[in-house]
Amino acid sequence: MSPKVTITHLSDLTPPSQERTWLTAPHPTLPLVATCSSDKTIRVYSLTNFTLLSTITGGHKRSVRTAAWKPHMTGESVLATGSFDATVGIWRRWDSYGQEGDAGMGMSSGDKQIPTDISTAASNGTGTDTADREEDEEEWRFAVLLDGHDSEVKSVSWSASGMLLATCSRDKSIWIWEDLDDGDNNFETVAVMQEHGGDVKCVSWHPSEECLASGSYDDTIRLWREDLDDWGQVACIKGHGGTVWFLDWEGEETEGNWSGPVADSVSESALSALQAQWRSQRALSGPRLLSCSDDRTVRVWRRQPKESQQTGPLSSATTGIPSIIRPTGTDEVWEEDAVLPRAHELPVYAVAWSKRTGLVASTGADGRIALYEERFVTREQEQEQQADSDAMDTTSGDVLRTEWVLVGVQDGAHGIYEINHVAWAKRADRRPGGEEEVLVSTADDGSVKVWTLTR
Amino acid sequence: MAEMQNSNPTILNSADLPTRLRPTATRKSEYGGIFTSALPLAPVDFESAPSSDSEDDNLLEEPIDEQEIYDLISSISDPEHPISLGELAVVSLPDIEIKPTLPDVPDSPLQTVTVLITPTITHCSLATVIGLGVRVRLEQSLPSRFRMDVRIKEGTHSTGDEVNKQLADKERVAAALENGALMGVIAKMMETCH
Repeated sequence: MSPKVTITHLSDLTPPSQERTWLTAPHPTLPLVATCSSDKTIRVYSLTNFTLLSTITGGHKRSVRTAAWKPHMTGESVLATGSFDATVGIWRRWDSYGQEGDAGMGMSSGDKQIPTDISTAASNGTGTDTADREEDEEEWRFAVLLDGHDSEVKSVSWSASGMLLATCSRDKSIWIWEDLDDGDNNFETVAVMQEHGGDVKCVSWHPSEECLASGSYDDTIRLWREDLDDWGQVACIKGHGGTVWFLDWEGEETEGNWSGPVADSVSESALSALQAQWRSQRALSGPRLLSCSDDRTVRVWRRQPKESQQTGPLSSATTGIPSIIRPTGTDEVWEEDAVLPRAHELPVYAVAWSKRTGLVASTGADGRIALYEERFVTREQEQEQQADSDAMDTTSGDVLRTEWVLVGVQDGAHGIYEINHVAWAKRADRRPGGEEEVLVSTADDGSVKVWTLTR
Repeated sequence: MAEMQNSNPTILNSADLPTRLRPTATRKSEYGGIFTSALPLAPVDFESAPSSDSEDDNLLEEPIDEQEIYDLISSISDPEHPISLGELAVVSLPDIEIKPTLPDVPDSPLQTVTVLITPTITHCSLATVIGLGVRVRLEQSLPSRFRMDVRIKEGTHSTGDEVNKQLADKERVAAALENGALMGVIAKMMETCH
């Protein structure tokens, strides 16, 4: 099938790091991103003009591997960073970027804002001279260092509410911290989970529930929930044939305007009817989980609807806890929903599922960015497939089937360099700002590129 | 230091090892140190690069073949013995292969270097360190368009798969490069490199 989406380079974020960059985290509401670098710093860039706003230095003693913005903050931004130095840093800054002449930045608590000379910050250059560094330190306040992991921190993720922070490490453990939000930057360790048999490479919270997904060097994906004050594993997905490098969740209906898979040669009203039917069929499963791996594949996982599950091994018979307290088992059954069309020749390091369009992007060591779209399988296609293999039974009946189609490929997106991360962000360089999204990719040479998509 | 794992390894005569370096001692400077790629490149070996005409973007880059890869890594010392990996036959020319990384993209400059390592004994716990040394040496010497695939030769090590998984893990290798103690060992192994 011929690619149907063109990926066009919009801009680089400048000036770039001179060393490997690992990940770029888009801010949940402001047109900002935070880029983690092997040079031990975090760079904050503007998505409005693609220039450097701040360089956060002095916190980590080794490569900064990962970062995540705390959601639901107003007037202040909070960034969690994880480093190869085994620590997690929490950084705070009163929102004031682009304050002059920009009312749409979502700021509310005006009395707390420290006015910043934005023209100085934007032309900050490499941020190496002393004056710049002092200014940066004034801007970004180091709040607290979360100490607990024994070796490199690989990934950090805030829960949907922003109350919980998950961190994971080569030490095979996942820590869940509660942000006590007591004005004193205190965090409490809520749980330490050590079931993984190898480095935990990534953690990612469910878009609305307190359910955590993790991917590991042990090739498994695990899901974790709290049950009677105890955090425990509720599922272990064995499917990938190599390290699971990254995870992302499907958006929920309320998050964006994405409403389901698409279809060719179907009227708009027929498509919305299909999508409505598809959503109701999927409602009991909840959002799906997307994963990518050293095995070169990208996969989608779906939870079996709770109603159809048998009571798990944690039922009252095995735990001795009266069933009135624990009415059902907590175990979940996750099954493979799809293996996306193969698009990578080397390990796939990152995937991103657009909450706005439903498109999936993947990237990795082969320097390629691939885009996939989920489409309804039409009745005609289905009949053709059934003719090919008459072993198909007819039970599928009214259950809508979908397939993932490779719709765009960008080879050598960062020249000869490996790409470590890709993320979706809201486009912010044009006014009036629409709902358009851009892709942000982060590579081994320190470059971060912004891409637009056109059909 | 613990007891040696292999106190009496088989050693090849260094004069018998394949190399392009020896006949012209003055050429050694071209391969000097770990920052070779930053040095101005001297024109060499045009006869071994028949395809260079079609690769405009690579005109300034020295053609790199299996022999050059061998010359880069065979002089690394074993962490246990003051003997080179070439002399111990831990690395050998036939176990080095260069091929296009993206065969379906004809104009892609990416190439994958595969090096199969033969540990001197099947339970050698230093296999990971040797593999890491080879990978680091190649990463620091070769242009970024090369992808490294350093593995233990099948059937030559009791925990080969485990070692291979570590050597292929970009994040672990990157973290190892920031580990002072480990890099000390690697630097010592590379003291004998040209």
